[in-house]
Amino acid sequence: MNDLTEYVTLISSDDFSYVVLRSTACISPIIRRMLDPSNGFMEASTNTVHFDNINGIVLEKVCEYFYYNEKNKDAKDVADPDFPTELCLELLMAADYLDV
Amino acid sequence: MASAMSRRGGGKIRAPRRGLNGADVDFQTTWIVLETAFREIHTKNASALSFEELYRNAYKLVLKKQGEELYKRVAEFEEQWLGSTVRKEIVQTLSAPLMVNEGAGRTLATANERRQAGEKFLRRLKQSWEDHQVCMGMLTDVLMYMDRVYCTDHRQPSIFAKSMGLFRDQILRTPLSQHQPNLLDVLTRIILDQIQMDRDGENIDPFLIKSNVYMLEGLYESDVEAEDDKLYLKSFELEFLQQSAEFYREEGARLLKESDAGTYCRHAKRRIDEENDRCRSTLTESTSPKIVRVVEDELIRNKMKGLIEMESGVAFMVDNEKLHELNLVFDLEARVDPKKPELTRAMQKIIAEMGTNINNAAIAASEAPQVQTEAPAAEEDDGKARTASVKPLNQQTAAALKWVEEILALKDRFDNICKESFKTQSVDQALSTAINRSMADVINAFSRGSEYISLFIDDNMKRGIKDKTEAEVDLMLEKAIMVLRYLQDKDIFETYYKKHLCKRLLLKKSVSVEVEKQMISRMKVELGNSFTLKFEAMFKDMTLSEELSNGYKKHAAGVADLNDSKGIELSIKVLTSMTWPLEAFRSGIEGDNDGIRPQIIYPPAIRRVKEGFERFYSQKHSGRKLTWHNNMGDALLKARFPHSKATVHDVECSTYAMLILLLFEDLPNGSTLSFEEIEAATNIPLDDLKRNLQSLAVAPKTRFLVKTPMSREIKPGDRFRYNENFVSNVRRIRVGVVSAGNKVEGDRERKETEKKNNEDRKFQIEAAIVRIMKQRKELAHAQLLTETLTQLSHQFKPDVNMIKKRIEGLIEREYLERMDEAPVPSYRYLA
Repeated sequence: MNDLTEYVTLISSDDFSYVVLRSTACISPIIRRMLDPSNGFMEASTNTVHFDNINGIVLEKVCEYFYYNEKNKDAKDVADPDFPTELCLELLMAADYLDV
Repeated sequence: MASAMSRRGGGKIRAPRRGLNGADVDFQTTWIVLETAFREIHTKNASALSFEELYRNAYKLVLKKQGEELYKRVAEFEEQWLGSTVRKEIVQTLSAPLMVNEGAGRTLATANERRQAGEKFLRRLKQSWEDHQVCMGMLTDVLMYMDRVYCTDHRQPSIFAKSMGLFRDQILRTPLSQHQPNLLDVLTRIILDQIQMDRDGENIDPFLIKSNVYMLEGLYESDVEAEDDKLYLKSFELEFLQQSAEFYREEGARLLKESDAGTYCRHAKRRIDEENDRCRSTLTESTSPKIVRVVEDELIRNKMKGLIEMESGVAFMVDNEKLHELNLVFDLEARVDPKKPELTRAMQKIIAEMGTNINNAAIAASEAPQVQTEAPAAEEDDGKARTASVKPLNQQTAAALKWVEEILALKDRFDNICKESFKTQSVDQALSTAINRSMADVINAFSRGSEYISLFIDDNMKRGIKDKTEAEVDLMLEKAIMVLRYLQDKDIFETYYKKHLCKRLLLKKSVSVEVEKQMISRMKVELGNSFTLKFEAMFKDMTLSEELSNGYKKHAAGVADLNDSKGIELSIKVLTSMTWPLEAFRSGIEGDNDGIRPQIIYPPAIRRVKEGFERFYSQKHSGRKLTWHNNMGDALLKARFPHSKATVHDVECSTYAMLILLLFEDLPNGSTLSFEEIEAATNIPLDDLKRNLQSLAVAPKTRFLVKTPMSREIKPGDRFRYNENFVSNVRRIRVGVVSAGNKVEGDRERKETEKKNNEDRKFQIEAAIVRIMKQRKELAHAQLLTETLTQLSHQFKPDVNMIKKRIEGLIEREYLERMDEAPVPSYRYLA
């Protein structure tokens, strides 16, 4: 089994790439499984995930949230992250999709 | 939501979005994508697939409320895949040897073939299962959204569980063909077969079986995955346990017949360990307690009795000191029952048997010589008769000693067994108490126990401890006390001990007063103050007497009248008649004319000393009466024998012998005295006279007198003269006093002792009853009985009938009265 890289690449539907820490991305069980080498899907071998139904703006927010989550993993009483209202609905969809 | 979708989604989504009716078409195409992908997954070609794409497809379907359809399709797909492709592969591996052994019996295929075939099957099945697991894992991942949204909402089992169920139904549950077992049965049988081979010592691949068992553990009886519903528990384990039970039942029965108990124990233990190991390596941990229980049941619980009673069972082990094997038996039974009833019972039985043997041997030993020597017992002559006379006396004593020693040995032995084999100290009180109880039973079953124990102590006091270290003496005392502890009739023991102690003290037979005192203090600790009170009083008397003798010596030195008594020294023992069992010294014949003590005629010198002491004593303690017990006294005199090496000998002899010898002191050489003359001159009781003459004129080493005619027996009319030819190498000669030693009582004596003892007991019981009633005033009969029993238990175990009689007696004497109005028979104390 090849060694897990530290960073993985997430690509949005409009071809924006986000290189994020593997551990942060794996907050989403979906992404974790996509990248799980034991399943042997394409994503796992390239360490790259294409999201055809999430556009760049939303994916950026998602990545922000990943890091935000990672940073505040052990803390309590953290202020909610700031999301623009107009993206709310789309973010919700993405969150449902990624199960985060 | 629809607007959000359309605003954001890629081209692919937008199209179906627009025409909502086209969902069906969309499903079909999406499904085809998915299905191909699944097929790829199942054939291990997943690396070209995009997880995201599949996930997105499934996601879309579920989102459009077609989850149910998707779910159904996936299930169908899996069912088909398993049913056709996978199943075929597995069934192919079911080769002839495996199928044949179903009906026709195992002989057709050798074990080896069977094993290989079985392994092949197992390997294939394992492979399929693992593949299925992996694929379904991937499928589940891809269909996660469906699981998350559709299955939870519609209370369907997750697709993974569903597919596991499918595996079970398609692979395991479907019969191979009609009238044939399904694969699950085959699997079970093969695994059992393999385990059986393992038990028979063949090598199998535990890992292979383990993975199959693991599979069974992963599957459930129904789609509701309840924990205790595992296929493993439901189907395999049951059969496994059942088969094992049968196997071990047979094996146990065979082993019981064929091998000895030690081997059996070792075998059983090994089997249990093996099964434990097997569960760990081959099956699953959770079965281990169950199978161990089965083995225990079959090999131990149901066989324990047989095992213990085997020819080479516990009795054999005890006999041959096979401590290790006993330990095994102990361990085995401890496994199945912490109380170990069988072993306890067996041990008790063995002790009882061995104890009875010892008891019987002792009785036989003590009775046999009695019959033989009854005749010559009285008439001892030289040589032959001497051995004959000494022997029977000793034989009985020896029997007593042997009995005690054997009892002690028995006790030691079982203590050792307890310690070594049963680890009594920490683990098992029950067993050791049971053993102790049996010991007590054995000891109490022997009617002469008390006497023999006392004799044992007596013997040790006199001879045994002579050249022993303090520690050894200590050990001896401890042993004696140990046996004593078991004894119930402690009052009888007290009587005997008193008697024996008395003889020891008076005849100065005791080796060490220190040890005597130690013994008594030990008894005190063990049995309480009142028990040793009299013993202590005896010692006190001894000390007082010594003081008295010294006082008299001083007194005599000052009184002129006593001074001329030719340097006769008097050492006197004044004893309290209550505490000393002096009747022990009176022989049976003497007892007949009891009370009328014949007045002994003393030579003038002796008489003067005696009277002097009587005066001295009455000065000190007025109002006390002295009774002289000459039969217990002894004397040291100087005698001159011209032909002997040392012309002057110190002769140590009894008072009576002294009196006799003194008669000859003034006789001219060669003149004789007849038996009657001696009797008249001394007034010694006939029996004692005979015996003393016997030792003086018959016993070869102390033949100071010559008797005519030369015969063994002393008869009236015999004549005696001074033996001037007496020769001896030693200066100090001890005249053996016949029957001075402590020996076992004759029947008559015993009866007397018993009678006396019963009398004593009567008083004790009455005293106890009165004590209780005084306190309680009114008491029910049963309660009174139990209380009396407990009060007296440290002294002896009273007979219930005796207690009843005592109560009657007390009622007659109006200490108690019956309570007529009470519902249960009760008594009232009358002050």
